[in-house]
Amino acid sequence: MNNTISFALLHLAFCFTLVSFTPISALELHGTGANMVETTCQKTPFYNLCVSALKSDPRSSGANVAGLAQIGTDKLKAKATATLRQITALLKVAKDPKLKMALRDCADYYNAIVKYDIPVAVEAVTKGDPKFGVEGATDAANEADACGRGFKNEPKFPIYASNKVVHDLSAVVASIVQLLL
Amino acid sequence: MVDTKPLLPASNSDGSYLTGSRVNSLKPIKVYLTIFCGLLAVGLFAALLIGNYWSDNARIHGSLASSTSKRTYPLRPVSRGPAQGVSEKTSGIWAGVSRGPAQGVSEKTSRVRAGVPRNILPEPLNSTMLEWQRTAFHFQPEKNWMNDPNGPLFYNGWYHFFYQYNPNGAVWGDIVWGHAVSKDLINWFHLPFAMVADQWYDKNGVWTGSATILPDGKIVMLYTGSTTEAVQVQNLAFPANYSDPFLIDWVKYHGNPVLVPPPGIYKKDFRDPTTAWLTSEGKWRITIGSKRDKTGISLVYDTKDFINYEMLEGELHAVSGTGMWECVDFFPVSKTEGKGLDTSINGPEVKHVVKVSLDDDRHDYYALGTYYEKNGSWIPDLPEIDVGIGIRYDYGIFYASKTFYDQNKNRRVLWGWIGEGDSEAADMEKGWASLQSIPRTILFDNKTGTNLLQWPVEEIESLRLNGTEFEKVAVKAGSVVPLDVGPGSQLDIIAEFEIDKEALKKATGSNITFSCQTGGGAAKSGALGPFGILVLADESLSEQTPLYFYIAKDSDGDLKTFFCTDLSRSSKAPNVDKQIFGSYVPVLKEENLSLRVLVDHSIVESFAQGGRSVITSRIYPTEAINGASKVFLFNNATETCVTASVKIWQMDSAFIRPYSDDDDDKDDDDRKSSAPCFLLCPINYIVSCVTCLYFIYHVSKFS
Repeated sequence: MNNTISFALLHLAFCFTLVSFTPISALELHGTGANMVETTCQKTPFYNLCVSALKSDPRSSGANVAGLAQIGTDKLKAKATATLRQITALLKVAKDPKLKMALRDCADYYNAIVKYDIPVAVEAVTKGDPKFGVEGATDAANEADACGRGFKNEPKFPIYASNKVVHDLSAVVASIVQLLL
Repeated sequence: MVDTKPLLPASNSDGSYLTGSRVNSLKPIKVYLTIFCGLLAVGLFAALLIGNYWSDNARIHGSLASSTSKRTYPLRPVSRGPAQGVSEKTSGIWAGVSRGPAQGVSEKTSRVRAGVPRNILPEPLNSTMLEWQRTAFHFQPEKNWMNDPNGPLFYNGWYHFFYQYNPNGAVWGDIVWGHAVSKDLINWFHLPFAMVADQWYDKNGVWTGSATILPDGKIVMLYTGSTTEAVQVQNLAFPANYSDPFLIDWVKYHGNPVLVPPPGIYKKDFRDPTTAWLTSEGKWRITIGSKRDKTGISLVYDTKDFINYEMLEGELHAVSGTGMWECVDFFPVSKTEGKGLDTSINGPEVKHVVKVSLDDDRHDYYALGTYYEKNGSWIPDLPEIDVGIGIRYDYGIFYASKTFYDQNKNRRVLWGWIGEGDSEAADMEKGWASLQSIPRTILFDNKTGTNLLQWPVEEIESLRLNGTEFEKVAVKAGSVVPLDVGPGSQLDIIAEFEIDKEALKKATGSNITFSCQTGGGAAKSGALGPFGILVLADESLSEQTPLYFYIAKDSDGDLKTFFCTDLSRSSKAPNVDKQIFGSYVPVLKEENLSLRVLVDHSIVESFAQGGRSVITSRIYPTEAINGASKVFLFNNATETCVTASVKIWQMDSAFIRPYSDDDDDKDDDDRKSSAPCFLLCPINYIVSCVTCLYFIYHVSKFS
């Protein structure tokens, strides 16, 4: 009887310790995930954009820097593709010849971003030679810049917001990939 | 009574007879079936092994490494200029992308009709300017992307050059080993790819490596592969056929990888093995760059057979804060003789150079020091200019460089990758990206004791056509003097500058430290500089690339000379590199300032003080191209006149084209032999097993 009681108490104590430790370690894991995003984003030029872009992807919790770089590049690709579609749609209805020319230039820049700059960045990160990824992402930022410059003398810049996001996100991805060097 | 334990052998005598007879009649069939299955399993396994062995043999006799599906370049000779049209790739990440030909004036309209993106270059760049950018005598493949030089060597009368190449586009990716041969390091034949990413241990990249020529004449190639898991490993390869002077086919060692990242080294920080050198114990030693946190290091391995390695304790060297060390190079230079040394040479008359490519800043650094063979370590002569924080091979665009010992002419020769300074979009448009520098000889500078001297190989002089000499031209303060030599896109220039000695003494010193980058470029006047040469400049100087000296005098009266290149006004096009490059260059008391320049369209290589300081730049002018490109002397100093003596040669084009040979077809036949056997073997085996068993069954029946 005594043995049983002591055994039961021991068992209970063991269970209790186990139970109490688990939520803490689980919290820590989640905590680390969130911290990784924040500490990484602090090293980029656009912190808020970086955090919101990465966190919107569930893979970001528990991801390492390489994983975050891949998530960032995926987001960039989605944004750039969407902006390209926007530009194509605008081209169909635009009447002003100067506006059309600026839009056509942007379409070409965005083609380069989606077809070349981003795939290079993805390949560089996955295959393990990140410096080419920095180049690809930086080039994407430059293309977005160039697109913006085409509207310098235009009264309206219809894709201003999305272009800015693509530019800033490219800069963010470039800094994250730079951390892999 | 029900038998409660049916699985146990029957114990009662009644059932046993029946069970026994049933068992007896069943037994032979079961036995035969088991034997048959066993034999079948063994047979299939054997068939698999045999099939594998045969396909291995096919690779040796044929050229699986350069299988037809991967060979993409045309075998016809192509004249200097961009490729005539690009057949679309159906594999790789550039599938379905049309880049189109970069040629001709009506390109814009024809492409609009074709429904593909039109010229995406910002004004004022156009296709004529792009075409002009292709070089006349620098090594480059006919199209697409190139980066690191790999495994350069001289063998059996030919110089071999391998390089990182993307067969599918003008950006980095899908890397394979390109290959070319030359008799003189200037004129080249393009050959089939030496190696492609066809094994699990290099599926994600056949990356940089180096060659070692063994005393018996065999060649060993060690290179980094990025595996299917993106782990960096070192692999061994060697020529398939030594009697082929072109060494077209290469075999990868079946037991690859021979080295994997050791404990404590991250799987993506272990690449670019060097040429091996002999130790006094008769072992071969190599070094491989890596890092621990932000400290760049180089690991050392000894081997007898290039297959089994022992890692040495400690490293060749380490420098904190430098980051990953790529493309490490380690070689001896003679302190006394003006010639190159074999990589294995050691002794008191020798200094050892450690060179690294820093991933973090994309620059190549070297330092001179002493090698201690016993523990495989190296100590720099001057730790304050240690490798990675001191002298650079080249203050412009120059990376991933590698030397080799040219036993043909007893010299050490340096190759360096010259990337583009324009946008990826422009590279896509013109269909190619990157060049190699003209190979340079490396010598110890025994006058300063701290530098190496680089100089273009003498074979480049075979391209010199007519030369024009300008003797003692006085260039007054604040003036520009045109040098009439004809078109200025392909030139070899040698210039010497004399400064007024009185002006040097009288000039006012300043306590502002000068550097090329912060000095304001060629337009910012100082007392004793800048002065030099303008290349790729148009008549009105709206575009110009100054290569210049700047003598800075500090408040103590000490003189310090700088050699710079200013790209800020090199082109009206946006989206091109417009930095100012350069650094301090040691000038000894008796020396005049000397300069050599190789102008080859969009690349300018400039050598100051006999190669003590070198700057390579990429120039993309919109006006100063073709006939409009000119050369000038200039002097923007306020307090001194400069006297210049210049000799300028027009340079011919080299021929750099595919080898036009028709005997590449023989490869296909060898590969066909392996396939049928692999299919037939198991079928054969099953049939023979069945017949065998049938025979045994009947024999046993009779006995």
